[in-house]
Amino acid sequence: MTAALAFTPSCDWAARSGSVRLMQPRVEVRLQQDKLWETLLARANDGDGAAFARFLGAVTPTLRAVIRRRGEALPADQHEDILQDVLLAIHLKRQTWRRDAPVRPWLYALARYKVVDAFRKRGASINLPIEDFADVLPEENAATPLSSRDADVMLGLIDARSASLVRAVALDGKSAEEAGETVGLTAAAARVALHRAMRRLSDVAERMMK
Amino acid sequence: MTPKQTTADLIRQLAASPAPRPFRTGVVAGGLLALLGISLGAFWLVFGIRTDLASAWLLMQVQAKTVLPLFLAITAVWLAFGSSRPGGRIVLWPLAVPLLLGVFLVIQRFGQVAEGSLQAEALGQTAFACLASITVLSATPLGVGIVMLRRGAAIRPALTGTLLGIAVGAGVTAGYALHCTEDSPLFFVLWYGLAIGIVAGCGGLLGHRYLRW
Repeated sequence: MTAALAFTPSCDWAARSGSVRLMQPRVEVRLQQDKLWETLLARANDGDGAAFARFLGAVTPTLRAVIRRRGEALPADQHEDILQDVLLAIHLKRQTWRRDAPVRPWLYALARYKVVDAFRKRGASINLPIEDFADVLPEENAATPLSSRDADVMLGLIDARSASLVRAVALDGKSAEEAGETVGLTAAAARVALHRAMRRLSDVAERMMK
Repeated sequence: MTPKQTTADLIRQLAASPAPRPFRTGVVAGGLLALLGISLGAFWLVFGIRTDLASAWLLMQVQAKTVLPLFLAITAVWLAFGSSRPGGRIVLWPLAVPLLLGVFLVIQRFGQVAEGSLQAEALGQTAFACLASITVLSATPLGVGIVMLRRGAAIRPALTGTLLGIAVGAGVTAGYALHCTEDSPLFFVLWYGLAIGIVAGCGGLLGHRYLRW
Protein backbone atom coordinates (compact mmCIF):
# COMPACT_ATOMS: atom_id res chain seq x y z
CA MET A 1 0.00 0.00 0.00
CA THR A 2 1.58 3.25 -1.09
CA ALA A 3 1.28 6.38 0.95
CA ALA A 4 -0.90 8.14 -1.59
CA LEU A 5 -3.24 5.19 -1.91
CA ALA A 6 -3.45 4.87 1.82
CA PHE A 7 -5.07 8.24 2.22
CA THR A 8 -7.10 8.84 -0.90
CA PRO A 9 -9.64 6.02 -0.55
CA SER A 10 -10.79 7.35 2.73
CA CYS A 11 -10.84 10.88 1.31
CA ASP A 12 -13.01 9.76 -1.54
CA TRP A 13 -15.20 7.91 0.83
CA ALA A 14 -15.57 10.92 3.04
CA ALA A 15 -16.32 13.17 0.10
CA ARG A 16 -18.86 10.74 -1.26
CA SER A 17 -20.58 10.26 2.02
CA GLY A 18 -20.69 14.03 2.35
CA SER A 19 -22.54 14.44 -0.92
CA VAL A 20 -24.80 11.49 -0.20
CA ARG A 21 -25.66 13.10 3.09
CA LEU A 22 -26.41 16.39 1.37
CA MET A 23 -28.59 14.98 -1.40
CA GLN A 24 -30.16 12.12 0.51
CA PRO A 25 -30.71 12.61 4.17
CA ARG A 26 -32.70 9.85 5.80
CA VAL A 27 -35.57 9.13 3.48
CA GLU A 28 -38.56 9.97 5.66
CA VAL A 29 -37.04 13.24 6.86
CA ARG A 30 -36.32 14.13 3.29
CA LEU A 31 -39.83 13.34 2.12
CA GLN A 32 -41.25 15.49 4.88
CA GLN A 33 -38.90 18.28 3.96
CA ASP A 34 -39.79 17.98 0.26
CA LYS A 35 -43.44 18.22 1.10
CA LEU A 36 -42.86 21.29 3.20
CA TRP A 37 -40.79 22.94 0.46
CA GLU A 38 -43.42 22.14 -2.13
CA THR A 39 -46.24 23.51 -0.01
CA LEU A 40 -44.28 26.66 0.71
CA LEU A 41 -43.34 27.28 -2.92
CA ALA A 42 -46.87 26.59 -4.15
CA ARG A 43 -48.24 29.11 -1.67
CA ALA A 44 -45.46 31.53 -2.58
CA ASN A 45 -46.39 31.33 -6.25
CA ASP A 46 -49.96 32.14 -5.29
CA GLY A 47 -48.64 35.37 -3.83
CA ASP A 48 -47.92 34.43 -0.21
CA GLY A 49 -44.76 36.42 0.56
CA ALA A 50 -44.27 34.95 4.02
CA ALA A 51 -44.30 31.43 2.56
CA PHE A 52 -41.71 32.48 0.01
CA ALA A 53 -39.50 33.91 2.72
CA ARG A 54 -39.75 30.63 4.61
CA PHE A 55 -38.99 28.68 1.45
CA LEU A 56 -35.87 30.72 0.72
CA GLY A 57 -34.79 30.46 4.33
CA ALA A 58 -35.25 26.69 4.22
CA VAL A 59 -33.24 26.11 1.06
CA THR A 60 -30.46 28.59 1.86
CA PRO A 61 -28.34 26.27 4.07
CA THR A 62 -28.33 23.57 1.38
CA LEU A 63 -27.41 26.04 -1.33
CA ARG A 64 -24.73 27.62 0.81
CA ALA A 65 -23.17 24.23 1.48
CA VAL A 66 -23.13 23.32 -2.21
CA ILE A 67 -21.60 26.64 -3.18
CA ARG A 68 -18.94 26.38 -0.49
CA ARG A 69 -18.05 22.88 -1.55
CA ARG A 70 -17.91 23.66 -5.28
CA GLY A 71 -16.47 27.10 -4.90
CA GLU A 72 -12.99 26.55 -3.60
CA ALA A 73 -11.57 28.29 -6.66
CA LEU A 74 -13.08 31.55 -5.46
CA PRO A 75 -12.46 33.54 -2.30
CA ALA A 76 -15.01 32.71 0.37
CA ASP A 77 -16.40 36.24 0.47
CA GLN A 78 -17.79 35.78 -3.03
CA HIS A 79 -19.72 32.68 -2.05
CA GLU A 80 -22.41 34.77 -0.40
CA ASP A 81 -22.74 36.88 -3.56
CA ILE A 82 -23.26 33.75 -5.60
CA LEU A 83 -25.80 32.51 -3.09
CA GLN A 84 -27.68 35.77 -3.52
CA ASP A 85 -27.56 35.38 -7.31
CA VAL A 86 -29.14 31.96 -6.91
CA LEU A 87 -31.82 33.25 -4.53
CA LEU A 88 -32.67 36.02 -6.96
CA ALA A 89 -32.91 33.49 -9.80
CA ILE A 90 -35.21 31.32 -7.71
CA HIS A 91 -37.46 34.33 -7.30
CA LEU A 92 -37.42 35.30 -10.98
CA LYS A 93 -37.95 31.76 -12.26
CA ARG A 94 -40.12 30.33 -9.51
CA GLN A 95 -43.11 30.06 -11.82
CA THR A 96 -41.27 27.52 -13.97
CA TRP A 97 -41.74 24.96 -11.20
CA ARG A 98 -44.76 22.76 -11.91
CA ARG A 99 -46.81 21.96 -8.86
CA ASP A 100 -47.11 18.31 -9.73
CA ALA A 101 -43.34 17.95 -10.12
CA PRO A 102 -40.95 17.33 -7.21
CA VAL A 103 -39.34 20.58 -6.11
CA ARG A 104 -35.85 19.26 -5.36
CA PRO A 105 -34.74 18.38 -8.92
CA TRP A 106 -36.13 21.71 -10.07
CA LEU A 107 -34.30 23.61 -7.37
CA TYR A 108 -31.00 21.80 -7.86
CA ALA A 109 -31.02 22.16 -11.64
CA LEU A 110 -31.81 25.85 -11.37
CA ALA A 111 -29.20 26.42 -8.69
CA ARG A 112 -26.57 24.48 -10.58
CA TYR A 113 -27.17 26.55 -13.72
CA LYS A 114 -26.85 29.76 -11.73
CA VAL A 115 -23.79 28.65 -9.78
CA VAL A 116 -21.94 27.55 -12.90
CA ASP A 117 -22.92 30.83 -14.52
CA ALA A 118 -21.76 32.83 -11.54
CA PHE A 119 -18.39 31.10 -11.41
CA ARG A 120 -17.92 31.62 -15.12
CA LYS A 121 -18.74 35.28 -14.82
CA ARG A 122 -16.38 35.80 -11.93
CA GLY A 123 -13.71 33.74 -13.61
CA ALA A 124 -13.96 36.00 -16.62
CA SER A 125 -14.07 39.21 -14.67
CA ILE A 126 -10.87 38.57 -12.74
CA ASN A 127 -9.40 37.70 -16.13
CA LEU A 128 -6.40 35.62 -15.20
CA PRO A 129 -4.79 33.73 -18.07
CA ILE A 130 -5.44 30.03 -17.68
CA GLU A 131 -1.72 29.25 -18.07
CA ASP A 132 -1.16 30.68 -14.61
CA PHE A 133 -3.36 27.94 -13.23
CA ALA A 134 -2.10 25.21 -15.47
CA ASP A 135 -0.03 23.43 -12.86
CA VAL A 136 -2.28 24.02 -9.89
CA LEU A 137 -5.66 23.19 -11.43
CA PRO A 138 -7.36 20.66 -9.19
CA GLU A 139 -8.09 17.20 -10.54
CA GLU A 140 -11.61 16.54 -11.67
CA ASN A 141 -12.52 14.39 -8.70
CA ALA A 142 -9.97 15.60 -6.21
CA ALA A 143 -11.20 14.93 -2.73
CA THR A 144 -12.18 18.31 -1.43
CA PRO A 145 -12.89 18.21 2.27
CA LEU A 146 -9.38 17.43 3.49
CA SER A 147 -7.20 20.45 3.22
CA SER A 148 -4.12 20.11 5.40
CA ARG A 149 -5.75 22.26 8.04
CA ASP A 150 -8.84 20.07 8.04
CA ALA A 151 -6.55 17.07 8.32
CA ASP A 152 -4.86 18.55 11.38
CA VAL A 153 -8.19 19.27 12.99
CA MET A 154 -9.42 15.78 12.27
CA LEU A 155 -6.24 14.11 13.47
CA GLY A 156 -6.67 16.03 16.70
CA LEU A 157 -9.96 14.21 17.19
CA ILE A 158 -8.50 10.69 17.28
CA ASP A 159 -5.98 9.26 19.72
CA ALA A 160 -2.38 10.41 19.52
CA ARG A 161 -0.81 7.12 18.44
CA SER A 162 -3.24 6.59 15.57
CA ALA A 163 -2.82 10.20 14.58
CA SER A 164 0.95 9.89 14.40
CA LEU A 165 0.59 6.70 12.34
CA VAL A 166 -1.71 8.39 9.85
CA ARG A 167 0.49 11.44 9.76
CA ALA A 168 3.58 9.35 9.03
CA VAL A 169 1.96 7.20 6.35
CA ALA A 170 -0.50 9.46 4.62
CA LEU A 171 1.04 12.89 5.00
CA ASP A 172 4.77 12.19 5.21
CA GLY A 173 4.74 9.26 2.81
CA LYS A 174 6.38 6.58 4.99
CA SER A 175 5.47 2.92 4.74
CA ALA A 176 3.26 1.29 7.38
CA GLU A 177 6.26 -0.71 8.65
CA GLU A 178 8.43 2.37 9.18
CA ALA A 179 5.56 4.19 10.84
CA GLY A 180 4.86 1.24 13.09
CA GLU A 181 8.49 1.09 14.24
CA THR A 182 8.46 4.70 15.42
CA VAL A 183 5.50 4.01 17.72
CA GLY A 184 6.65 0.52 18.68
CA LEU A 185 4.30 -1.69 16.66
CA THR A 186 4.96 -4.67 14.41
CA ALA A 187 4.24 -4.24 10.72
CA ALA A 188 0.99 -6.24 10.92
CA ALA A 189 -0.22 -4.43 14.02
CA ALA A 190 0.67 -1.11 12.46
CA ARG A 191 -1.42 -1.91 9.41
CA VAL A 192 -4.40 -2.92 11.54
CA ALA A 193 -4.07 0.20 13.66
CA LEU A 194 -3.79 2.32 10.55
CA HIS A 195 -6.89 0.74 9.07
CA ARG A 196 -8.89 1.43 12.23
CA ALA A 197 -7.59 4.98 12.37
CA MET A 198 -8.71 5.56 8.81
CA ARG A 199 -12.17 4.31 9.61
CA ARG A 200 -12.42 6.57 12.60
CA LEU A 201 -11.23 9.48 10.47
CA SER A 202 -13.97 8.71 7.96
CA ASP A 203 -16.53 8.86 10.74
CA VAL A 204 -15.06 12.14 11.91
CA ALA A 205 -15.18 13.52 8.37
CA GLU A 206 -18.76 12.45 8.08
CA ARG A 207 -19.66 14.16 11.30
CA MET A 208 -17.86 17.33 10.23
CA MET A 209 -19.86 17.30 7.02
CA LYS A 210 -23.20 17.37 8.79
CA MET B 1 -19.71 44.06 6.53
CA THR B 2 -22.05 41.26 7.48
CA PRO B 3 -22.86 39.08 4.46
CA LYS B 4 -25.36 36.92 6.34
CA GLN B 5 -27.37 39.98 7.18
CA THR B 6 -27.53 41.10 3.56
CA THR B 7 -28.70 37.66 2.47
CA ALA B 8 -31.46 37.81 5.05
CA ASP B 9 -32.30 41.27 3.75
CA LEU B 10 -32.42 39.96 0.20
CA ILE B 11 -34.80 37.18 1.22
CA ARG B 12 -37.07 39.71 2.91
CA GLN B 13 -36.93 41.92 -0.13
CA LEU B 14 -37.68 39.06 -2.55
CA ALA B 15 -40.53 37.84 -0.36
CA ALA B 16 -42.03 41.32 -0.39
CA SER B 17 -41.94 41.65 -4.18
CA PRO B 18 -44.90 40.30 -6.14
CA ALA B 19 -44.72 36.81 -7.63
CA PRO B 20 -43.72 36.91 -11.31
CA ARG B 21 -46.35 36.12 -13.92
CA PRO B 22 -46.97 32.39 -14.37
CA PHE B 23 -45.13 30.58 -17.14
CA ARG B 24 -47.80 28.72 -19.08
CA THR B 25 -46.65 26.52 -21.92
CA GLY B 26 -50.25 26.31 -23.09
CA VAL B 27 -50.17 30.02 -23.87
CA VAL B 28 -46.88 29.62 -25.74
CA ALA B 29 -48.30 26.68 -27.71
CA GLY B 30 -51.41 28.69 -28.58
CA GLY B 31 -49.31 31.63 -29.73
CA LEU B 32 -47.09 29.42 -31.87
CA LEU B 33 -50.07 27.66 -33.41
CA ALA B 34 -51.76 30.97 -34.22
CA LEU B 35 -48.62 32.36 -35.86
CA LEU B 36 -48.05 29.17 -37.84
CA GLY B 37 -51.68 29.31 -38.97
CA ILE B 38 -51.33 32.92 -40.11
CA SER B 39 -48.03 32.28 -41.95
CA LEU B 40 -49.28 29.14 -43.69
CA GLY B 41 -52.69 30.63 -44.38
CA ALA B 42 -51.11 33.58 -46.13
CA PHE B 43 -48.82 31.24 -48.05
CA TRP B 44 -51.70 29.01 -49.18
CA LEU B 45 -53.70 32.07 -50.13
CA VAL B 46 -50.92 33.36 -52.36
CA PHE B 47 -49.42 30.17 -53.75
CA GLY B 48 -52.33 27.80 -53.33
CA ILE B 49 -52.71 24.24 -52.11
CA ARG B 50 -51.92 21.62 -54.74
CA THR B 51 -54.99 21.08 -56.92
CA ASP B 52 -54.75 17.30 -56.91
CA LEU B 53 -54.54 17.02 -53.14
CA ALA B 54 -57.63 14.83 -52.78
CA SER B 55 -56.42 12.18 -55.20
CA ALA B 56 -52.74 12.45 -54.23
CA TRP B 57 -53.57 11.99 -50.54
CA LEU B 58 -54.29 8.32 -51.30
CA LEU B 59 -50.56 7.79 -51.80
CA MET B 60 -48.62 6.80 -48.75
CA GLN B 61 -45.65 9.07 -49.50
CA VAL B 62 -47.93 12.09 -49.87
CA GLN B 63 -49.39 11.41 -46.48
CA ALA B 64 -45.90 10.84 -45.11
CA LYS B 65 -44.60 14.23 -46.16
CA THR B 66 -47.25 15.93 -44.06
CA VAL B 67 -47.66 13.43 -41.26
CA LEU B 68 -43.97 12.87 -40.48
CA PRO B 69 -43.18 16.59 -40.08
CA LEU B 70 -46.36 17.02 -38.05
CA PHE B 71 -45.30 14.25 -35.71
CA LEU B 72 -41.82 15.75 -35.50
CA ALA B 73 -43.25 19.19 -34.72
CA ILE B 74 -45.46 17.93 -31.91
CA THR B 75 -42.64 15.90 -30.36
CA ALA B 76 -40.15 18.75 -30.62
CA VAL B 77 -42.45 21.40 -29.17
CA TRP B 78 -43.26 19.08 -26.29
CA LEU B 79 -39.55 18.61 -25.60
CA ALA B 80 -38.82 22.32 -26.02
CA PHE B 81 -41.39 23.10 -23.32
CA GLY B 82 -40.04 20.37 -21.09
CA SER B 83 -36.51 21.70 -21.43
CA SER B 84 -37.70 25.19 -20.46
CA ARG B 85 -38.25 24.04 -16.90
CA PRO B 86 -35.24 23.10 -14.76
CA GLY B 87 -35.05 19.58 -13.44
CA GLY B 88 -37.18 17.87 -16.07
CA ARG B 89 -35.93 14.76 -17.77
CA ILE B 90 -35.36 15.33 -21.48
CA VAL B 91 -35.55 12.25 -23.68
CA LEU B 92 -34.55 13.05 -27.23
CA TRP B 93 -34.94 9.72 -28.99
CA PRO B 94 -38.59 10.22 -30.09
CA LEU B 95 -37.24 12.85 -32.48
CA ALA B 96 -35.43 10.08 -34.34
CA VAL B 97 -38.64 8.21 -35.14
CA PRO B 98 -39.85 10.42 -38.02
CA LEU B 99 -36.29 10.75 -39.25
CA LEU B 100 -35.84 6.97 -39.40
CA LEU B 101 -39.20 6.54 -41.12
CA GLY B 102 -38.07 9.14 -43.67
CA VAL B 103 -34.80 7.31 -44.23
CA PHE B 104 -36.77 4.09 -44.61
CA LEU B 105 -38.91 5.71 -47.34
CA VAL B 106 -35.76 6.89 -49.11
CA ILE B 107 -34.21 3.43 -49.06
CA GLN B 108 -37.43 1.90 -50.29
CA ARG B 109 -37.55 4.41 -53.16
CA PHE B 110 -33.92 3.65 -54.02
CA GLY B 111 -34.96 0.14 -54.91
CA GLN B 112 -37.68 1.31 -57.28
CA VAL B 113 -36.14 4.18 -59.17
CA ALA B 114 -34.10 3.75 -62.36
CA GLU B 115 -30.36 4.38 -62.03
CA GLY B 116 -30.26 7.42 -64.32
CA SER B 117 -33.20 9.35 -62.88
CA LEU B 118 -32.03 9.11 -59.27
CA GLN B 119 -30.32 12.48 -59.23
CA ALA B 120 -33.03 14.26 -61.19
CA GLU B 121 -35.64 12.96 -58.79
CA ALA B 122 -33.70 13.97 -55.68
CA LEU B 123 -32.99 17.49 -57.00
CA GLY B 124 -36.54 17.98 -58.28
CA GLN B 125 -37.83 21.21 -59.76
CA THR B 126 -38.60 23.26 -56.67
CA ALA B 127 -35.79 22.60 -54.25
CA PHE B 128 -34.89 26.25 -53.83
CA ALA B 129 -38.51 27.36 -53.51
CA CYS B 130 -38.96 24.67 -50.88
CA LEU B 131 -35.95 25.77 -48.80
CA ALA B 132 -36.80 29.45 -49.13
CA SER B 133 -40.50 29.05 -48.32
CA ILE B 134 -39.97 26.92 -45.24
CA THR B 135 -37.23 29.10 -43.76
CA VAL B 136 -39.02 32.38 -44.49
CA LEU B 137 -42.36 31.15 -43.14
CA SER B 138 -40.61 29.88 -40.01
CA ALA B 139 -38.89 33.14 -39.18
CA THR B 140 -41.70 34.93 -37.37
CA PRO B 141 -43.04 31.98 -35.35
CA LEU B 142 -39.49 31.06 -34.35
CA GLY B 143 -38.61 34.59 -33.26
CA VAL B 144 -41.80 35.04 -31.28
CA GLY B 145 -41.46 31.55 -29.81
CA ILE B 146 -37.97 32.37 -28.54
CA VAL B 147 -39.26 35.57 -26.95
CA MET B 148 -42.09 33.66 -25.28
CA LEU B 149 -39.74 30.99 -23.96
CA ARG B 150 -37.58 33.65 -22.34
CA ARG B 151 -40.11 33.56 -19.54
CA GLY B 152 -39.15 29.96 -18.95
CA ALA B 153 -35.83 28.89 -17.49
CA ALA B 154 -33.95 26.82 -20.03
CA ILE B 155 -30.87 25.38 -18.41
CA ARG B 156 -29.61 24.32 -21.84
CA PRO B 157 -30.59 27.35 -23.90
CA ALA B 158 -29.10 26.15 -27.18
CA LEU B 159 -30.91 22.81 -26.90
CA THR B 160 -34.22 24.46 -26.12
CA GLY B 161 -33.75 26.84 -29.05
CA THR B 162 -32.88 23.99 -31.38
CA LEU B 163 -35.94 22.02 -30.29
CA LEU B 164 -38.14 25.05 -30.87
CA GLY B 165 -36.52 25.48 -34.29
CA ILE B 166 -37.27 21.86 -35.17
CA ALA B 167 -40.85 22.28 -33.98
CA VAL B 168 -41.48 25.46 -35.99
CA GLY B 169 -39.61 24.26 -39.07
CA ALA B 170 -41.39 20.92 -39.07
CA GLY B 171 -44.77 22.56 -38.45
CA VAL B 172 -44.28 24.88 -41.41
CA THR B 173 -43.06 21.96 -43.51
CA ALA B 174 -46.20 19.94 -42.74
CA GLY B 175 -48.25 22.80 -44.15
CA TYR B 176 -45.91 23.51 -47.05
CA ALA B 177 -46.18 19.86 -48.10
CA LEU B 178 -49.84 20.46 -48.96
CA HIS B 179 -48.67 22.94 -51.58
CA CYS B 180 -45.67 21.01 -52.89
CA THR B 181 -46.24 18.54 -55.73
CA GLU B 182 -42.93 16.70 -55.54
CA ASP B 183 -43.89 13.37 -54.03
CA SER B 184 -40.65 11.40 -54.21
CA PRO B 185 -39.19 10.61 -50.80
CA LEU B 186 -35.80 11.22 -52.40
CA PHE B 187 -36.83 14.84 -52.83
CA PHE B 188 -38.82 15.62 -49.74
CA VAL B 189 -36.77 13.78 -47.15
CA LEU B 190 -33.66 15.55 -48.44
CA TRP B 191 -35.00 19.07 -48.88
CA TYR B 192 -37.58 19.15 -46.10
CA GLY B 193 -34.96 17.69 -43.82
CA LEU B 194 -32.46 20.32 -44.87
CA ALA B 195 -34.99 23.12 -44.42
CA ILE B 196 -35.97 21.91 -40.95
CA GLY B 197 -32.27 21.59 -40.17
CA ILE B 198 -31.66 25.22 -41.15
CA VAL B 199 -34.52 26.45 -38.98
CA ALA B 200 -33.31 24.23 -36.14
CA GLY B 201 -29.82 25.71 -36.46
CA CYS B 202 -31.22 29.24 -36.34
CA GLY B 203 -33.25 28.22 -33.29
CA GLY B 204 -30.12 26.90 -31.63
CA LEU B 205 -28.22 30.13 -32.26
CA LEU B 206 -31.13 32.27 -31.08
CA GLY B 207 -31.57 30.09 -28.03
CA HIS B 208 -27.90 30.27 -27.17
CA ARG B 209 -28.08 34.04 -27.43
CA TYR B 210 -31.51 34.90 -26.03
CA LEU B 211 -32.64 32.06 -23.79
CA ARG B 212 -29.91 32.58 -21.20
CA TRP B 213 -30.94 34.08 -17.92
